[in-house]
Amino acid sequence: MNATPRRSIDGRIVGAILVLLGGLGLREGRRLYVLRETLVAGAVVGDDTFPMIVGVALLVLGGYLVLTSPPPSARVELPRGAVRRQMLWSAATLVAYGFIVPWLGYTAGTAIASTALYRAMGDYRWPTAALLGAVTTAVLYLFFRVWLLQPLPSGLFGA
Amino acid sequence: MDVFPHLANGFVAALTPTNLFMAFVGSLLGTLVGVLPGLGPTAAIAILFPLTSVLTPAAAIIMLAGIYYGAMYGGSTTAILLNIPGEVASVPTCLDGYPMAQQGRGGVALGVAAIGSFIAGTFGVVILTFFAPVLADQALRFGPPEYFGLMVLAFTVVVSLSGASLARGLAMAMVGYLLALIGLGSATAEPRFVFGFEPLMSGVDLIPLVVGLFAVAEVFLGLEEARVAIAQKIHDVFPRWRDLRQAMPAILRGTGIGFLLGLLPGCAPGVTVFLAYDVEKKLARHPERFGKGAIEGVAAPESANNATSSAGFIPLLALGIPASAPLAILLGGLMVYGLQPGPLLFQKNPEFVWTIIASLYVGNVILLILNLPLVGMWVWLTRVPFGILGPAILLLSFVGAYSVRNSMFDVAVSLVCGFLGYWLRKYQWPLAPLLLAFILGPLLENNLIQSLSMSGGSPLIFVRRGLSLTLILGAIVLLCTSLVLVRYTSRRIRETTADELAL
Repeated sequence: MNATPRRSIDGRIVGAILVLLGGLGLREGRRLYVLRETLVAGAVVGDDTFPMIVGVALLVLGGYLVLTSPPPSARVELPRGAVRRQMLWSAATLVAYGFIVPWLGYTAGTAIASTALYRAMGDYRWPTAALLGAVTTAVLYLFFRVWLLQPLPSGLFGA
Repeated sequence: MDVFPHLANGFVAALTPTNLFMAFVGSLLGTLVGVLPGLGPTAAIAILFPLTSVLTPAAAIIMLAGIYYGAMYGGSTTAILLNIPGEVASVPTCLDGYPMAQQGRGGVALGVAAIGSFIAGTFGVVILTFFAPVLADQALRFGPPEYFGLMVLAFTVVVSLSGASLARGLAMAMVGYLLALIGLGSATAEPRFVFGFEPLMSGVDLIPLVVGLFAVAEVFLGLEEARVAIAQKIHDVFPRWRDLRQAMPAILRGTGIGFLLGLLPGCAPGVTVFLAYDVEKKLARHPERFGKGAIEGVAAPESANNATSSAGFIPLLALGIPASAPLAILLGGLMVYGLQPGPLLFQKNPEFVWTIIASLYVGNVILLILNLPLVGMWVWLTRVPFGILGPAILLLSFVGAYSVRNSMFDVAVSLVCGFLGYWLRKYQWPLAPLLLAFILGPLLENNLIQSLSMSGGSPLIFVRRGLSLTLILGAIVLLCTSLVLVRYTSRRIRETTADELAL
């Protein structure tokens, strides 16, 4: 169980990211400002205005969060043990799914990913997970491809 | 504006087989997802949003509205039977609903919740029918500065969506605005925040963002929670006369409180349900019954929840201001179809608006029919293991995100947003302000640019025009009201759950 300290690390992380994003906003705003001055003579506002405003707001808020890092109002408990393992396996499966689907196509990619997900999240035995995976793949195919007529990734095997 | 002829036309359109079917499917799917433990209306709409992308605008919004209402009805089932609130608006229902279920009166609690929700929902739609057009009649007085004022008014909603920390809510809102800026600029069509990466040229799409933040993240959060359903048979779902007589004043008071506060842009159901519950407890002759299975403790918050949600359609349709995360997604849905909610919507697309309003009446009836007789099936669904639900929801979300633009980039966006959403939710960073700002960002920017162009760069244009000034002053008043209400609600949530939930 990880108790959250009064000055939270998440506040500083988010604050630092906001400062970076704010800097990015100002940089992009500056680039667009120069472009506007060149392209649209006489315009007082343009595509650069809002990035500048948002950039300044992000810098101010980010700075505030870094300095004060207000903690969450309730204690944060991070997952441990079996649950953490389940979550990491599931997350890894989803990332892998994103990579394999363009190559294997919807049917094979989804069948493999769903089997792995049922195994990871439900702790089912491989044959049961494979069966559940096949059913899920078929139901989603019926739903999206047959009923809603949506194209699905075809991959190298064309399916 | 003549309400009755428009409404009659709306009913003619809403009762066409296609639209009726969409209302039915939306209500059914919404209830189905809503009864799944831990999933509330926001997650329900997020998961099912991609499915509506192939429909006509009216059919899609009818289905989305059905999903929204259905998920709220479904949410009361898990709150009562499992003591799991899908969203903060269901927390007070747990307080007395779960003890009722433990006492073997779960059916009565579910029945009263359904009847209260029906009465409140229908009342809200009746007022919407007559009140929204009055607001919308001001349409011709709206120019860019007034729209900018409206957007500022909408920004006050961030306060009520921020939970306990306004700084965290504002931070998330700014990230939402930044995400909305990605893509081609509206004035010069120059790429912004693209950095040469071609898929970013068309910007971040709303659907993968919503799917990631609210569906994928929800599944990962759900993995952590052990959930046990009450293994009881539900019977007596139709409350007895005595139960109804006891619950009816609470239903009416909950409806009144929920509706009146729901009219305020920025007052989410999470705020009104606690007020309704507390008022009921204060008025009770035996307040000690509350928390131990008082039927009024279920009737009042459930009615307030639905009344607020219905009332939320008034600022949504007439002003383009969403009061809660699910309504923000609905707003996004309207914009995906090229419709701009706000004063002009009633003038430009009257058939569409009145079809939606009529479909809300139809949806309420469908939900009452679905919920009372089929309660046994919904209860059975609460026992489906998360090991089956989780993978199914994840895959449905990803395939849905892909299908909108046939883009693996969108799948990647939903995946990244899912992981980020999980981490942010875990550390209680509210996601609804991010979504709201992402949706309203382009409107705010366009109206700001147009207004400043009109005035030669002077921001005084916003205070020199009466309506614009009124809206900005209204935003300040609402900001203060929201701060008070949010502080009250946050305290009550902490007292009730020792936890922090986004409103």
